[in-house]
Amino acid sequence: MTASATPCFATEGLTKRFPRVTALDHLTVAAGTGVTGLVGANGAGKSTLIKILLGLVPPTSGSASVLGLDTATQGLEIRRTVGYMPEHDCLPPDISATEFVVHMAQMSGLPRTAARERAADTLRHVGLDEERYRPMGGYSTGMRQRVKLAQALVHDPRLVFLDEPTNGLDPQGRDDMLALIRRVGTEFGISVLVTSHLLGELERVCDHVIVIDGGRLLRSSAIREFTRAEQTIAVEVEEGQRQLADRLTGGGETVAVQGRLLTVQVSPDDPGRTYDAVRDAVSDLGLSLLRLEQRRGRIEDVFKESTAKEPVA
Amino acid sequence: MTIEPTAVIHDIGYRHYDGVRLGRGRATLALGVQSLRGVFGLGRTIRAKIMPLLLAAIMLMPTVVSIGVMALAKQFVMPYSQYAVFMQAVIAVFLAAQAPYLVAPDLRFRVLPLYLSRPLTVNDYVVAKLAALAVALFCLMALPITIEFVGEMLIDMPMPLHTGDFLGALGGTVLRAVLLAALGVALASFTPRRGLGVAVVIAFYMFTAAVSGLFYAVLASTGRDDVAPWALLLNPFFLVDAVQSALFGTDPATGEGYPPGVASCLILLAVIALAVTGVLLRYRKAAS
Repeated sequence: MTASATPCFATEGLTKRFPRVTALDHLTVAAGTGVTGLVGANGAGKSTLIKILLGLVPPTSGSASVLGLDTATQGLEIRRTVGYMPEHDCLPPDISATEFVVHMAQMSGLPRTAARERAADTLRHVGLDEERYRPMGGYSTGMRQRVKLAQALVHDPRLVFLDEPTNGLDPQGRDDMLALIRRVGTEFGISVLVTSHLLGELERVCDHVIVIDGGRLLRSSAIREFTRAEQTIAVEVEEGQRQLADRLTGGGETVAVQGRLLTVQVSPDDPGRTYDAVRDAVSDLGLSLLRLEQRRGRIEDVFKESTAKEPVA
Repeated sequence: MTIEPTAVIHDIGYRHYDGVRLGRGRATLALGVQSLRGVFGLGRTIRAKIMPLLLAAIMLMPTVVSIGVMALAKQFVMPYSQYAVFMQAVIAVFLAAQAPYLVAPDLRFRVLPLYLSRPLTVNDYVVAKLAALAVALFCLMALPITIEFVGEMLIDMPMPLHTGDFLGALGGTVLRAVLLAALGVALASFTPRRGLGVAVVIAFYMFTAAVSGLFYAVLASTGRDDVAPWALLLNPFFLVDAVQSALFGTDPATGEGYPPGVASCLILLAVIALAVTGVLLRYRKAAS
């Protein structure tokens, strides 16, 4: 476990039983600042965990804390400093995004003028432009998800809970939303707990991943632990792909050609060397670089591997 | 990677908010004020303004007539304390049209979890909504009699001012606003559908008015004059009128008289308590 000294949230033997189902079963987990992914199938207990962390639902047994505050007794203080984007639709159709987000900012205790200013800023940051003055009934799913994110961020929380933010989005919308979440965690400096039932999409944005299943902890570790061994860089150039591959191979790098993409294995001992080599090779050969991105090993593989073994209790 | 033109806008950095953060009370107040404005259609579409403003205008019509009669015929025809009973159908329609607006959309579009993920509690939410509707109803009912009273003061009448009747009517208006708000929200909050909510509230009013009238007529015609007045209390407007005449000494709107004042007061309190408890329980359930 790699939680920092002041964890964003921590649970201790957390159990929640409903009359018919056990949603959380002795869950002990902690996460530090940054972007934390919470992965599990539908019904794994993700939404229940968020409701407990918000102080809205009391656990059957065990305890939980958020930003050092006890969820059982300090729910109000927690809800003052965190944001929440629910999984379900929550936007009234007949008012505009601006009005809605201003109102929600006021509900978080911002004075009206500050609420207006923050709402305009936040809507711009999530990428809603002129549409924000139109009634939300006519919005696309992508726009609706952005408004939902904006209302969770408008009061500048220290931590935000995003429940299935990519639900219902097409691949492009999914990418945009994930990039936005990454920005919230890095550029905005707001810690994020994001849930998903898709493991693959979280690897790109999370620093830390928690996997739960049937309310039990399967695995909790930093992304780099999942994927360190197989980190690669994907390079796409307009022409001269062959030359580049030869040059890099000549320099001692491991290169694979996948269609139009070159995949270069990052040296585990000296990652900087690989990046420098790619940069120098592209520059020396005078190639037009189309794409350069980090690739990680798929979390899915790790997940399959760990489910096959005994779950970590 | 292609460069999107919007990237320029996105690159304006994120700024943290370090201004003032008000407490729960102020958030509740903001919700109440927003709801109150919404009841009269303020900050909403033109279509949403038509109904409340039309009904408010209808409420003023007897005032206009009454002031006209006072000015021309020097007669006082419309006692303040009986205004609400006289206009009860209009008030009931206003309640039916606006109570569902306050609660149904938040249930139907599942906005409630967003409120509850903030410092607001379920009780704060319910209090804000009830208070907004009560204040709205008070304004609707108090404005006509206040204008009429101002008219009476300005017109030189051969008789003394009906100040006691006016003040008693204002007191009754407060009670009526609270009772109707509690009943309206209680009935409307049980369905997330606004149209159904409107129907339920208006049906409730018509049912109580009809049953009250029917029982009274049957009991009176069979010689049970001792029990007949109790039947009147089934109608919320007569219930408040009974309490108003007991507490503030105004003349009963019906010439028949009411059961003892203490009983009416207790019934009024019980109905309000029951309705508010119902709303709170309903929202506790919705919140979990």
